[in-house]
Amino acid sequence: MIMEHAGYLPGLDADAVERQAKTYGPKGAEISVLLPVLHEDQVSQLACHVREQARLKLKSWPVGQIIDAIDLAVARLLDRQDPYRRRMDQLLPIITGYDREMVRLGLTGYLKTFRKPQLQRFLAEDFVNPAILDNFQPLPKGGMGRAFGPQILAHVWAGNVPGLPLWSLVAGLLVKAGNIGKVPSAEPLFAGWFAQLFAEVAPELADCLAVVWWQGGNEVLETSVLNEADLVLGYGRNESLAAIQSRVPITKRFLAFGHKVSFAMISAAALNASKVSATARLMAYDVARYDQQGCYSPHVVFVECGGSVSPERFAQYLAHELAGFEEKFPLRTLSLAEASGIVAWRNMEEMLPGGQVFGAASGAWTVSYQAEDKVFSPSCLNRTIRVVGIDSLADVPAILTPFRTLLQTAGIAAPPEELLALASALGEVGITRIAAIGDMTSPEAGWHHDGRFNLLDLVEITEIDSRADGAADRLASYDD
Amino acid sequence: MDYEAITVDLLSFIMGDAPNDDAFNRMALKVFAYQFAHNQSFAKFARARGKTPRTVTSWTDIPAVPINAFKALEMTCCRPVEAEAMFMTSGTTFGGLRGKSYHKSLSVYDASMRCNFKERFMGGIEKMHMGILFPTVEEMPNSSLAHYLNLAVQDFGLPGSSHLIGEAGIDFDRLIADLDHAQMTGRPYALLGASFSLVHALDGLEKRGYSAILPAGSRILDTGGFKGQSRDLPLNEFYDALSHRFSVPRSQCINMYGMTELSTQFYDSGNAVCPSVKSGPHWAKTRVVNPLTGAAMPKGETGVLIHTDLAHVNIVTTILTEDTGIETEGGFLLLGRAEGTEAKGCSMAVDEFLIAAGAA
Repeated sequence: MIMEHAGYLPGLDADAVERQAKTYGPKGAEISVLLPVLHEDQVSQLACHVREQARLKLKSWPVGQIIDAIDLAVARLLDRQDPYRRRMDQLLPIITGYDREMVRLGLTGYLKTFRKPQLQRFLAEDFVNPAILDNFQPLPKGGMGRAFGPQILAHVWAGNVPGLPLWSLVAGLLVKAGNIGKVPSAEPLFAGWFAQLFAEVAPELADCLAVVWWQGGNEVLETSVLNEADLVLGYGRNESLAAIQSRVPITKRFLAFGHKVSFAMISAAALNASKVSATARLMAYDVARYDQQGCYSPHVVFVECGGSVSPERFAQYLAHELAGFEEKFPLRTLSLAEASGIVAWRNMEEMLPGGQVFGAASGAWTVSYQAEDKVFSPSCLNRTIRVVGIDSLADVPAILTPFRTLLQTAGIAAPPEELLALASALGEVGITRIAAIGDMTSPEAGWHHDGRFNLLDLVEITEIDSRADGAADRLASYDD
Repeated sequence: MDYEAITVDLLSFIMGDAPNDDAFNRMALKVFAYQFAHNQSFAKFARARGKTPRTVTSWTDIPAVPINAFKALEMTCCRPVEAEAMFMTSGTTFGGLRGKSYHKSLSVYDASMRCNFKERFMGGIEKMHMGILFPTVEEMPNSSLAHYLNLAVQDFGLPGSSHLIGEAGIDFDRLIADLDHAQMTGRPYALLGASFSLVHALDGLEKRGYSAILPAGSRILDTGGFKGQSRDLPLNEFYDALSHRFSVPRSQCINMYGMTELSTQFYDSGNAVCPSVKSGPHWAKTRVVNPLTGAAMPKGETGVLIHTDLAHVNIVTTILTEDTGIETEGGFLLLGRAEGTEAKGCSMAVDEFLIAAGAA
């Protein structure tokens, strides 16, 4: 059986770290992951070390140079022959159950958004003058300012979508924070691999980030990490986030990224014979990608009536395309609970007045078409999608109002004026990202995750009051 | 065939000897045809799957109705107003929607309960002194369990048997008086109730420092699991605690597995070993299937349970549960609920969405 160590623990004596083995994968192809089991004092030792090393090394690196280092690491991961990339391609499908080809293509597409030009855009998105991360820069209001990242930025990651921790880890490095990230049991390897690789390409920064693990619900370890951190980024279910929040000291900041749901809208203008196939294919791609487990994955498609292709017909096109994706990127093996969930969901959808369900007998995909039930109702994931026929897309924002805190991406197929008008109305009900159909699951570099600023939210500005300069002048040796 | 005729047939089927496979099949198809003709929601459901009395020739082909259907649809052969009783589930999922089972009359339900209870719980004893750790039928008119326990006391309880739960919870004075009385007289005692109530009883007796050494032949029936209403403890611990507190051997601690969506219960033969093998009487059969395809799982592999209960005459015979289990020699192991879909990434599963939307 393949054995793999999870985590990255600079400054700790490897022999002193206990390990717990966890097995992943189907019978016959299992891999064993050795997860680090830390003690409280090891956590503070680790935090001390990372804080000190980030202060000594990372803080003095110009941000441009940090970008170069990340770019180097990402270039290695984009090289399919690189040993780290090979391990990712080999093991992540086993850990997560996602289709191998889908993971491979998904990783490449995702990693491409972390090359140097994209990282620069990432910076430019939040800082008019990124040099503000390196030294004091003039501020528009007068005076000077410099942005400081936290000494320790704690990340509590969740879920199994491959590569997700990279977002916040890169953000932490760009603001020169010491990073301690906690990986979830669902996918405990990616973050540790990235940390090791980063240490290889930038040995001087090797001790500025750490990757840890604890069993969910271990309050002692969680509290000790939260106490060491200046800023905490949390991902996951609302109840887990609430638990974290309750343990974050009031003097520190906690940024919570709760689970979200997304949806799509197809304008009547996109529903003609020449365009409908392509739209349905792109829509199916958004549904199939990572088996709908992402916050940007669609649950419902609102399809406008009045085009030459009816919403019901669109549902059939979508079913056809999902069947095609199943050939190319088969759904991962479902647990009994998930299979049961699909059966229950299908039956409920079918029993609604005006409901029709198209689905693979194997459960690999399901399209529910609803002519009458126009509420927003989540699908049960794993390639199950509800198509709702609607008279006008302009009616959709009102349907979404009750769920404003839970929504993220709207995939839209509509002509330009309609797109803009819908975007305004959707923004008002809490949607933070509008994407083209087919791009829903691949946010671009520098996007505002859940409408927030990825880097600005992490820093504090130290400013030199415009009058301090004059006052200092009066104390200078050259003062007359 | 009308309701009276099918009821008469069923009653004699239940009271009769265990039938051979053929006889079971004939009876099942008869009930299916009756339900197909009278239960409109079910007929529509069956037709959509190409299943009609014409095409269904084996009881295993009767389409299994998922328990959620009882929440969305009126699954009944009679008009709801004509029903003598309507039992409801507790409604912990799907936004609090509760599943409903209408019984035109309770004659078949009661016959099913009595025959089965007599054999599987009473074990040859005619009547016993009983204590019930569950509210009465008057307090919970839509609870099938309240009705079941009411029947138990009425038909199998000696005078003095009573409900031990009031508005303020368990009446410990009366429970202890009952237990004292049993120990004094040396006559076996039966304690029956919801699993979580038994946990409350264990906790309360522990606090009072009270243990009983119940006479030989005493027994305990628990049902329904803990449902978040008491602390959740592993089954082995639960039965050890019961056995220790009441001096009733684990082999006399019987678990009943029942559902509001059925008219027949399943029992084990004690819990000396957990999980125990459960089985139904000759008018109810259980299959372990792949929920998506409905195909039987190979023996020894985990699947979802489908029950075919011929006594569920006014509703449907065959339901698809969300319970998982394994087929074994002589019955099935019940492993627990298939807890629906949990999102693996950063999306939301249905249950999580409903909770979050409720809080938003």
